[in-house]
Amino acid sequence: MSTTFLPCGDYHQNYAQEHAWWQTKFIKGKMILLFLFLFVFIPVTANSYWISVCNMVGYTILGALGVQLLIGYCGQLTLGHGAFIAVGAYASTLLILEFPWPQFMLDWGIAYPVSVIIAGFVAGIWSVLFGLPSARVKGFYLILTTMAAQFITVDFLLTQYVSQIGGRGQAFSLPLGTIKIGPWVIDSDLKVYYLMLILVIFFCIVMANLIRSRVGRAWVAIRDNDISAEVMGINVVKYKLLAFFVAGFIAGITGAFWISNLAAISPEHFPWFLSLSLVGVILIGGVSSIHGTIFGAIFMVVVMELLQLAVMPMADTYPKLLMDFLFIKEAAFGLAICLFIMFEPNGIAYRWQQIKNYFNLWPFSY
Amino acid sequence: MQQGHKTGESNTIQGMEISKALTIPKLFLEQAGKFGKDSIAMREKEFGIWRPITWHDYLENVKFLALGLISIGLKDHDKVCMIGTNRPEGLWAEMATMCARGIGVWLFQECLIEEVKYIVDHSDARFIFCESQEEVDKAISIINECPKLEKIIWDDPKGMRHYQEDCLISFKEVQRLGKELNQKHPHLFEETIFKGHGDETALLLYTSGTTALPKGALLSHYNMLTMGQNLMAVDPCLETDDYVSYLPFAWIGEQMMVISCGLQIGFTLNFPESSETSQANIREIGPHVMFAPPRMYEQMTRTVQVKYLDSTWIKRKCYELAAKIGYHMANLKFKKKPIPFQWRFLQALAYLMVQKKLKDHLGLSRVRNAYTGGAAMGPDHFRFFHAMGVNLKQIYGQTEIGGISVIHRSGDIKFDTVGVSIPKTEVKITDEGEIISKSPSVFQGYYKNPEATEKTLIDGWLYSGDRGFIDDDGHLVVFDRSKDVMILKDGKPFAPQYLETRLKFSPYVKDSWAIGDKQDYLTTVICIDYSVVGKWADEKKLNYTSYPELSQKPEVYDLVEKQIRQANKDLPEPARVRKFINLYKELDADDDELTRTRKLRRAFVAKRYDQIIEALYSDADVVHIETTISYEDGRKSDIKVDLHIRKIVD
Repeated sequence: MSTTFLPCGDYHQNYAQEHAWWQTKFIKGKMILLFLFLFVFIPVTANSYWISVCNMVGYTILGALGVQLLIGYCGQLTLGHGAFIAVGAYASTLLILEFPWPQFMLDWGIAYPVSVIIAGFVAGIWSVLFGLPSARVKGFYLILTTMAAQFITVDFLLTQYVSQIGGRGQAFSLPLGTIKIGPWVIDSDLKVYYLMLILVIFFCIVMANLIRSRVGRAWVAIRDNDISAEVMGINVVKYKLLAFFVAGFIAGITGAFWISNLAAISPEHFPWFLSLSLVGVILIGGVSSIHGTIFGAIFMVVVMELLQLAVMPMADTYPKLLMDFLFIKEAAFGLAICLFIMFEPNGIAYRWQQIKNYFNLWPFSY
Repeated sequence: MQQGHKTGESNTIQGMEISKALTIPKLFLEQAGKFGKDSIAMREKEFGIWRPITWHDYLENVKFLALGLISIGLKDHDKVCMIGTNRPEGLWAEMATMCARGIGVWLFQECLIEEVKYIVDHSDARFIFCESQEEVDKAISIINECPKLEKIIWDDPKGMRHYQEDCLISFKEVQRLGKELNQKHPHLFEETIFKGHGDETALLLYTSGTTALPKGALLSHYNMLTMGQNLMAVDPCLETDDYVSYLPFAWIGEQMMVISCGLQIGFTLNFPESSETSQANIREIGPHVMFAPPRMYEQMTRTVQVKYLDSTWIKRKCYELAAKIGYHMANLKFKKKPIPFQWRFLQALAYLMVQKKLKDHLGLSRVRNAYTGGAAMGPDHFRFFHAMGVNLKQIYGQTEIGGISVIHRSGDIKFDTVGVSIPKTEVKITDEGEIISKSPSVFQGYYKNPEATEKTLIDGWLYSGDRGFIDDDGHLVVFDRSKDVMILKDGKPFAPQYLETRLKFSPYVKDSWAIGDKQDYLTTVICIDYSVVGKWADEKKLNYTSYPELSQKPEVYDLVEKQIRQANKDLPEPARVRKFINLYKELDADDDELTRTRKLRRAFVAKRYDQIIEALYSDADVVHIETTISYEDGRKSDIKVDLHIRKIVD
């Protein structure tokens, strides 16, 4: 992209070169190192605790990508994204557990991958349903309608009706070995980690390319000014609903992915706080930035884990700390958002850009 | 991300014999045939990308344009003027003119109407190529006073829709006529080219003329080609090289690189998006060879100095350290001393730490040879670039000798000389101290000016009018124009440009003018750099509304005084500046104070600012000036200013 800092003597003779993602040897080298780090270094060195932390980061990234799309790129405020993750998770679980799959499909491990894709579509359509009001309302009102999505879906439909399917009571249990892709049985944190990496990389690529396509430009136009976007000939309602669909689709996949990490799912996995924290992730990471989504997710998960590690030793002296840890966590989350809005309103991604500029402009300041 | 594969030997020109029969068009035909569709002749930046043009496209365009010129009536040895910025179409027009056996005449794009009129009329041009509406307007306004001018060929259609004049014809239309002619006579283009001979005039270039009206120097094909060959015998260029063409084609230096060298080797020419973006575009391309007048390098130095001042503490310290190492290395190099191991190590460190990025910012990462010529460059600037690791070389020459005659050799650079003569070129000093030279590239004479030709060209020797001497190492030292050399109070000669270039090393000083011939002491008139000093004043919270006001601030005088004191330190006592004045405006070529290549026209400014000179050599502290200045858009305004005179006492 044109925002890349190109060294002297690196120029484009056609637009394909200009649009290439990794344009310089330096960037290519950097990316290879990153992949080595993710695929080799972490699995080899990290223990299962840190692997599970990484899985949490990946789950947060996937969840926040949809929020980033809606808020960061299309300007549609949402506070109910957790609902669509829940829809994806439940759709996939129900399909695996209740759908009369032919035996060979179960044996060959086709059921889960198919259910993931269907879950994506179901969540996408569910999201469009709650995106419909966006044709008329904006801002706070839209926040309320998306919050309604959360409460109607999770607290009402899932809890009251869907959970009753099959008469299992509140939770659907997913015994080890249920989740498999082909012959690959996903039964350990490390396997979940690899699945997560593949999904995160895939959706980051999809998002990054969507954003610079015609669709992405339409979304950005709607975000910046919906009236001028309409004047420019963009079908605002269509593109808003498309944004809701894509965001919902990613959320559905996210939910369907997450069941691979769970032994059982219940509506408590998808509280309203999840929706809220995903918005927090993009605020901290940086709105309108895919980098920001990743940075925000890492910050949220890792900082909270570190906080937990810091609190643990003190628990011997102040046992109350452990009891109230959930509240401390939420307070810390609130504090982090306040501090970011005050001191780094453009998020970590902006700081990252500044650091890169610092070295790109070396030995000058501009 | 270069495309196109230029294969083959690195330097074909070495073995090539330039006979009198060879002409630029013949060479062009041969090269275009050799490189064909696989290799890129030029690129132009348009809409954000460097649009490549292959040699095949280049040939096609030139062919139809040349035939088009023939079909609108171009006869052998007719002059064709060209005015515009550097773009492929401009070069095609020039090449087409030569292919059609015409003579190309380039004008500086920013020439005022009177200058355009003078050159068009004096050169007897029948056609003029204008890039866009602006140039077309200039041409239309003079066409009635230049009876020989028949057609105005325009290229850029923007704003041209409502022009109905009969004399106008578009570039595309000329090419269409050429295509028609080509269908009727398919071999006419080649036949016309093969009629040419190397001794025929190829270009008529008007010299900038520091003293009088411009003189038109006639250069033959043979002159141009031998010049390029002899230059490249010293510093070979490669086919794979990139060169950025952004300096006016009317300047011999650009013709020398683009036509004399570029065509012979076939390196890729790159044309910037517009003149404003040229610096950024140079950075993108990262040329391997550069030739620019000192002002470009001075501008780069100033950019670095100003950015350095604005940088953060850590970055500044790193820069200072790297500069210290670089300067030490440059000094060792100039003195041709062996470089000790520890300094090699430090140099590698400085390169990694600062110089690599610094060169990257300036677009000098890939430069193998950078040349400066056309005016004097100060030793400080010279050392600055060598300290950065840029192989900057001084070139000396005149339009009349095809561009250059003397050049530094790699590894044998002395910053107070201009180097050693190129092959097949003799340089001598007459008994009067004038530099004279002789080579196959010495021009044919001035157009319609036999007296001047007689004075300049004696027995095949070109009399330059410059004063200089040859030092112990055989390097030529150019002192100054003979008539500009000053006599100090101790009777010694002194070159004012030496002082001026030293003062210009300060980022705050844009131009300076040293005065003091046969006087008791030296004085200078300083033009501050408005943007740099303006920024400095902003930081100091000094209020100002205009250049005249800013230039007269006592704080600005203090600042300039500091710079002059710095320069004074290295000068012998009689050559030190004792008084200076800040001028209320920048010197400008549109006011005839500078030539188009930004050389100071001393006689003219001395006459124009006689009040100032008078005041500088009297006891006055203030000189009152009332004058009219004309702006670029033609507005005029009266100016009344009191210029302060500052004395510098040791």
